[in-house]
Amino acid sequence: MVKMSLDPVQVMSGQVKELKVATSSNGDSRGSWEEKEEFDQDHLGLTTKPKPPKPENAVTIAVSSRVLFRTEREQKVFEQQGVEEYLRYQIEHENEPFAPGPAFPFVKALETVNARLRELYPQSEELFDIVLVTYNHAHVGIRLINTINHHNLFIERFCMTGGSSPIGYLKAWHTNLYLSADSEKVREALAEGIAAATMFMPEKLTEVSESQLRVAFDGDAVLFSDESERIFKAHGLDKFFEHEKDNEDTLLDHGPLKGFLEALGKLQKKFYAKGQRLDCPIRTYLVTARSAASSGIRALKTLRAWGLEIDEALFLAGAPKGPMLEKIRPHIYFDDQMFHVEGAAEMGTIAAHVPYGIAQKHNPKQKTSVAK
Amino acid sequence: MVSTIQNTDVKQKDADHAVVVAITSHAAFESGADDGDEVYREGVAFPLLQALQKVNERLLEENPAESLLFDVILITTDSQQQQQSSRVISSTRHYGLEVSRFCFSSEEDFIESLQKNNVKLFLTTDTNEVTQASQTGVVSVLLDQQTAVCPSEQLRVMFCGDAVIRPDTGPMPLTRQAAQSFSTQLGEMRQKFGMFDSPLSFILVTSHGGRESCRGALQMLRSRGVSVDEAYCLAGAPRGPMLSLVQPHFLLRDGYSSLEE
Repeated sequence: MVKMSLDPVQVMSGQVKELKVATSSNGDSRGSWEEKEEFDQDHLGLTTKPKPPKPENAVTIAVSSRVLFRTEREQKVFEQQGVEEYLRYQIEHENEPFAPGPAFPFVKALETVNARLRELYPQSEELFDIVLVTYNHAHVGIRLINTINHHNLFIERFCMTGGSSPIGYLKAWHTNLYLSADSEKVREALAEGIAAATMFMPEKLTEVSESQLRVAFDGDAVLFSDESERIFKAHGLDKFFEHEKDNEDTLLDHGPLKGFLEALGKLQKKFYAKGQRLDCPIRTYLVTARSAASSGIRALKTLRAWGLEIDEALFLAGAPKGPMLEKIRPHIYFDDQMFHVEGAAEMGTIAAHVPYGIAQKHNPKQKTSVAK
Repeated sequence: MVSTIQNTDVKQKDADHAVVVAITSHAAFESGADDGDEVYREGVAFPLLQALQKVNERLLEENPAESLLFDVILITTDSQQQQQSSRVISSTRHYGLEVSRFCFSSEEDFIESLQKNNVKLFLTTDTNEVTQASQTGVVSVLLDQQTAVCPSEQLRVMFCGDAVIRPDTGPMPLTRQAAQSFSTQLGEMRQKFGMFDSPLSFILVTSHGGRESCRGALQMLRSRGVSVDEAYCLAGAPRGPMLSLVQPHFLLRDGYSSLEE
């Protein structure tokens, strides 16, 4: 079989040993099977690996190749020398796996949660399903698959659209969250009602938990609509507080990531049902500039009315988010303002920009070239 | 008895190098019950015919002396159509279709026509004809209503890269060799164009298998000179929504998976 050339790399890679200790990436609790060479698993096709769930049952996370892996060098070849040279370069380097990108720790954490879910609910299809969605040409496919094998990721589904928009495919896959390096594609997805965010590679990456998935959200224009932000931007802080107080009992409208928080909540409840609330491998955070005593109340009331639990709500009352995020160490943090995304990245937090709402028009620092 | 008539409106292709594609008159034209007119209406194969023509045009643009072209012939497969020869010819001319010749055969001898004309791809709307032709080693594809609605000007050829091939719909072993050489010729045509703006595009869909099936299929196709443009690996997800987005003109099923054995 042609794949033999990759096997020594897989076996020698430190990654494989690490994973055997923590969890098997494909969710199997295989016991003594773990002594067997990993590369044999594919000779039997999918029969030894768990079957991927049906898209409508799963929480589908679509990631692009540029955020799952680091492809800066190849990007440069594409930008400076054009597509033919770029593809030739990719084929030439086909057996060199890409390094992990900003979405990599998040995807690994999703797999950890899947392993725990499979232990508790072996027949259930309510799992995370990770799909690689890229508008790369299929020429890059072999290198991408080799890389997935090298890092022992459980990704069996992908779309390589060869240049055309992946949005139709996102909808066909019932995508719950789309992560890309391209803010235009992310905007397109948001416009189609799909939760999406642009990811950036932080300068330094702080270590994140290998046993618990941590997802942090900004409030306004992420979980909630941007209505309050509009008031703040148009009329200032005092007016904002007044408006929030007056409307304390009116629910905020939902924002683009509300659905994703909901999906996480559903999975959390599956752990609670088996008495694993304290040991739950999913933890969610609200990190908002609102303040607890005043404007935060409306946020909490809204979440409660939606039936959504959030594990920790941090009301910063305008203080910088960076230090708080540095303590939380989320696998991903969603914010609608580039200012906060960049601030978080400076401190090593993996932050994703949700280009939604009024902040996009006002933010002077916004530039798409940051995307990598 | 088969009669073959050349279409004098169209330049004949180089028999040694052209890729002969046979389309049945039933696929090319719609014959309605109330047809009194000379000219048939467009059939399900129309978008495909136009895409094949476009490939030829672009190939000749790249190289006016190009001989690796599609050579489209129209074939009748039943005696009823066989008797409508003048209507078939006048309809073809009416639409300006790039059909180089007509083979007027019946149910008994259309297979003979396929073989005499060195047909590399046979397109029909009739499942029995697909089975019969496949059994003699001709790559045969069933066209349907979906093909008719394909809006793309670009010829989109889909390869199915699956390990699981159900026996009743699977390819006959004889056709495998033919399918391989046909796809190699398609691959050669594709090479004459760049990444973007190609009149011809290859799509790989792996329905049941996961990434290993997909990789195997990509490598096998590449070893035959076929560079795939788009790839979709479904690993059991429903095919329908994908196919309606991919919108291929036709699907080639014959043995592209390395796991098939």
